[in-house]
Amino acid sequence: MSKQLYIDPSAVRAPGSIHFEDIPVNRYQKTVRDEAGNFTKEQLVNIYRDMLTLREFETMINLIKTTGEYEGIAYNHPGPAHLSMGQEAAAVGEAFHLDVDDYIFGSHRAHSDILAKGLSAIEKLSDERLLGIMRGFLGGATLAAVERQPHDTVKDLAIDFLLYGAMAEIFARETGFNRGLGGSMHTFFTPFGIYPNNAIVGGSGAIALGAALYKRVNRQPGIVVANIGDGALGRGPVLEALNMAGMGQLTELWPDGMKGGLPVMFNIVNNQYGMGGQTVGETMAYDAPARLGAGFNPNQMLAERVDGFNPLAVIEAYGRKKKLLLEGKGPALLDVVTYRFAGHSPSDSSSYRTKEEIAAWEAQDPIAEYRRQLIEAGVATEAECDEIAERVKRTNLRNFKLSIDESVSPRMDLVKNPDAIADLMFTNGHVEAFSDAQPEVNMPLQDNPRVQAIARKERFGIGKDGKPVSKNKVYQLRDGLFEAIIDRFYKDPTLVAYGEDVRDWGGAFAVYRGLTEALPYHRLFNAPISESAIVGSAVGYAMAGGRALVELMYCDFLGCAGDEVFNQMAKWQAMSADVIKMPVVLRVSVGSKYGAQHSQDWTSLTAHIPGLKIAFPATPYDAKGLMASALVGTDPVVFFESQRIYDVGEQFHEGGVPADYYEIPFGKADVKRAGKDVTIVTFGAVLYRALKAADELSEKYGMEAEVIDARTLVPFDYETVLESVHKTGRLVVVTDACERNSFASEVARQVTELAFDDLDAPPVVVASRNWITPAHELEEAFFPQPSWILDAIDAKIVPLKGHVRTTNQTRGEKLRNERRGV
Amino acid sequence: MAVAVIMPRQGNTVESCIITSWHKKPGDKVAPGEILFSYETDKAAFDEEAKVEGTLLAAFFEEGDDVPCLTNVCVVGQPGEDAEPFRPGAPKADTAGPAEASAPTAPAQAISDGTRISPRARALAASSGADLSRAVPTGPEGRVIARDVQALIDAGLVATPAARGTAAFGAEGTGLGGRVTLADLARTAEAPAPQAAVPAAPEEADSYVEPLSHMRKVIAKSMTLSLSAMAQLTHNISFDATEIRRMRALFKEKGEPFGLSRVSINDIVLYAVARTLANPAHRALNANLIDDGKSMRYFRAVHLGMAVDTDRGLMVPTIFHAEKLSLAQISAEAKRLAKACREGKIGPAELRGASFTVSNLGSLGIESFTPVVNPPQTGILGVCAMKDAVRMRDGQIEVYPSVNLSLTYDHRALDGSPASRFLLDLKANLENFALLLAL
Repeated sequence: MSKQLYIDPSAVRAPGSIHFEDIPVNRYQKTVRDEAGNFTKEQLVNIYRDMLTLREFETMINLIKTTGEYEGIAYNHPGPAHLSMGQEAAAVGEAFHLDVDDYIFGSHRAHSDILAKGLSAIEKLSDERLLGIMRGFLGGATLAAVERQPHDTVKDLAIDFLLYGAMAEIFARETGFNRGLGGSMHTFFTPFGIYPNNAIVGGSGAIALGAALYKRVNRQPGIVVANIGDGALGRGPVLEALNMAGMGQLTELWPDGMKGGLPVMFNIVNNQYGMGGQTVGETMAYDAPARLGAGFNPNQMLAERVDGFNPLAVIEAYGRKKKLLLEGKGPALLDVVTYRFAGHSPSDSSSYRTKEEIAAWEAQDPIAEYRRQLIEAGVATEAECDEIAERVKRTNLRNFKLSIDESVSPRMDLVKNPDAIADLMFTNGHVEAFSDAQPEVNMPLQDNPRVQAIARKERFGIGKDGKPVSKNKVYQLRDGLFEAIIDRFYKDPTLVAYGEDVRDWGGAFAVYRGLTEALPYHRLFNAPISESAIVGSAVGYAMAGGRALVELMYCDFLGCAGDEVFNQMAKWQAMSADVIKMPVVLRVSVGSKYGAQHSQDWTSLTAHIPGLKIAFPATPYDAKGLMASALVGTDPVVFFESQRIYDVGEQFHEGGVPADYYEIPFGKADVKRAGKDVTIVTFGAVLYRALKAADELSEKYGMEAEVIDARTLVPFDYETVLESVHKTGRLVVVTDACERNSFASEVARQVTELAFDDLDAPPVVVASRNWITPAHELEEAFFPQPSWILDAIDAKIVPLKGHVRTTNQTRGEKLRNERRGV
Repeated sequence: MAVAVIMPRQGNTVESCIITSWHKKPGDKVAPGEILFSYETDKAAFDEEAKVEGTLLAAFFEEGDDVPCLTNVCVVGQPGEDAEPFRPGAPKADTAGPAEASAPTAPAQAISDGTRISPRARALAASSGADLSRAVPTGPEGRVIARDVQALIDAGLVATPAARGTAAFGAEGTGLGGRVTLADLARTAEAPAPQAAVPAAPEEADSYVEPLSHMRKVIAKSMTLSLSAMAQLTHNISFDATEIRRMRALFKEKGEPFGLSRVSINDIVLYAVARTLANPAHRALNANLIDDGKSMRYFRAVHLGMAVDTDRGLMVPTIFHAEKLSLAQISAEAKRLAKACREGKIGPAELRGASFTVSNLGSLGIESFTPVVNPPQTGILGVCAMKDAVRMRDGQIEVYPSVNLSLTYDHRALDGSPASRFLLDLKANLENFALLLAL
């Protein structure tokens, strides 16, 4: 959506053909002897050492899992272990050219990737920087565990640090890289450029894209690599990321200095299997992963197949691709062929493949072959190679012993400190800006046309005559959101916003009208219709160090980004022991009028997932203050907005919505109307229907309802509700969500427990039906109406004299519906 | 033929649009594609192009007007054609009548397995000693709810502390936090018949205890709050009631056709107070002190609270917008409210929202008192009995009717001088009531 791009019907309709370049397959066929002059002896020998280190580490885990001991030392590791014996050349080859500024993201099968990248970083960093990193990490706890042993050099110490930190993490020790909270599938160490590994297949695709976006937008050096498997190419989010990394605007519309596809490498670790499914010939259609690049952009994502059993082939490929990525020619895709000798996990008996197949690949073991080439080329002798192997084994054993020693490597003590994990669920930070750079904007704030338009509006929704101010003249809820958002854009240079139709159009609901004029393309852009990639990339953007504001145009699309919201956005702070911050605000617009797939309130789904903060404001004042809080925080926030009330004016806050910046803290409910006879708790737009019910209660039945607007679901302010229930003894919780498992039901349950002796009747939930949302014309039968609230009070709390119910509130009807599952 | 141009509906949530500018004025020639006017919604701006050729005959709205969608905005046609038939008229009457509410209500289910009692009602009974066995359940499905226990308390159906241990509800709780569980109740039922209650203590013989009625409790609470949270003090002044007595006699004699024959002295005072308070100089007394004493809410209208003595206790209904009511209207409203209070038919909406209160103890012969301010109001006027007073005038002793006024005010909200000036103005208005009426 940009008027700069003209879609010429003559060109689009013209005959012709689309041309593809050949996709290179294993072009590189050199050996150590051919390359001896291009590497130092130390480099060539270290490649061997590194591959052996990876192999020994994995062998150790495999033996522990399958025999219960390693080198005669018994140990039980009950957790997961997805091993990568056979894939070492691919990992070491990839890491060779990567600097600390180059980030890798990976999969559940990442031990080798972590160690290879770590060893590469240790080789490249100065002793001083290495010591600084090790001393600074977890207050030196990990270093203290390995420092007790003598080391000849800082690099030797650092290698112990790396092996030990990874082992301790896998074995859930508090001295591990993430205090044992990540585990085998999620180990990482950001100071070495090793970013989170993901237990969701393909999970790193969109996240790596987001980190690359961060590097581009914030002018940071380096490239980003997503190590994902051949099976991950069956995942929609990965395909979304492949597209978004090269979307046309990057070369067509973004400003100079920002142009070009993103610097991200989709490194397909093609070990031939997605769990037990054979990707070629069984589960996938591509024949070769390298084919995919040609489908995504005109430069075919620079895709090629590389022999991942030859470390030199992978090194050579990375040398070329990294340069192109840094030139803005990305994104890139590499099909790195390899093979895992072990099963998917130790429980896998490899029933899906033959012994002959495994034996054939083992016969070409990349480490044995490389050792043969080293000796053949005269770079190292048999004895030297044996000595390296011995040293690797000793090093591994030494760190293994330390990592399982309870006195050196204790687990988190959740008996002594029961809050140890609870304290990590949120970082609760208050960060004005994640960079000192000058925010890139197009004009002074006061020149913005929307800002000027808002200045002419009435900031309080009730006029002097007591009547509502006209919609076109009143300061609306969408204006409140806009003010909080543009304010942060002018303060935090890292803040970016994207989603569907946000630029030019200003968002489907006009919240962003005026932002297009204010911001350059790279801070505000239209994303492809790729909800997974939108949210996933925001997660990666935050991991890399920025602040992201992304959106789902309708709450109903939450399922499209399910993994990214539920497993990625929500989890990484605690899984990293808060090493990572997640300043991501996900705006989610809740519809109405548009039927079954565009009108659902799914707040309860997000509230169910630990690690997310959930807001749902109903007034312009609350919307502005809560958005300001969300955008200055460091935690992931799902920010629900209702399409019913984007145009509502402020009716509660005296003096109207302040023009100045202010924050409303999360976890503070707001009493929108005081009363003494019954408490009504609401979430979002349903507030206004509850107020109508309160009017009727007062006018017809002389009952004064206290109406409490929850404002945030997580954290939730039970104190205010309990205080009110203590006074009234009666509670109605109202929500636009379907009744079953709604957050309103959760509140009713909690209050029953917390205020049992205060209750004069059971807390009652008034919610939407457990149906599909019908057409707009029929909605009043589906969404809670003021009359339903009165009906529920009359039937279940206190009979209202003379009230005629319009809904069936009987026990029999309830049971009948439950029997039918509706 | 003349054609109307309507305000387009830009999206199905848009109800109206603002005309931002006219590009043509009546009499101008227009060609298809030319912009007639620009308009905007809260989301976006648009231009309306002419669809037909002709002359702009009439424009029904001006720039800045908020025009409902689908309303005729202007008319294009040939000179001489009549545009008036297109002028937006009154909105169409709603032809559809309200749907008849006909949903059946379930009859209250009789329950046979014993009476249900809400936890709150049970807790209230336990703390007050109310005799649950005499409760009349008014909750859903025959449940005893808190108000039913309150009714017991109000009716004095409360066991003595000594007897309390023997009542069924007095079962000793063994549940969490001392909660009475079902097992506790069962145990009580099985327990042997209790022994006679311990004789009452001697002091109980010479006195008896009655719990306060609910209304008494409410009054007690608000009076305590008033006196403990405010800085109250009272100023007294008296005025010469000759004029108002004369006026009242006139009304009584000749006021019948004007609805004035039953105007009382109190009505006259209410009228004078409302008019005096409406003077912005006295806004601090027509106000609420709110936010823990951090801000004042000033009222543009005068909502006059009027203390009414009833069998159940003091009630203070409100005469809304008293400053706009005629004397006859004030008189009628005061009588209506007092009657509703005494008959217990007053609604809660009429018992709140006052900006100032008047309390009249004149009929009881009281000569001076210190009324108590009803928070968050800032003042209350006490009106005392009319009595004869003497004064010196032109060297002669003169007897005249005098009424004392006692103003209690919140010193946090205003100082003594403004409070005194209010009393002086009020005195002047009452002593020159005919002038006030003529204003």
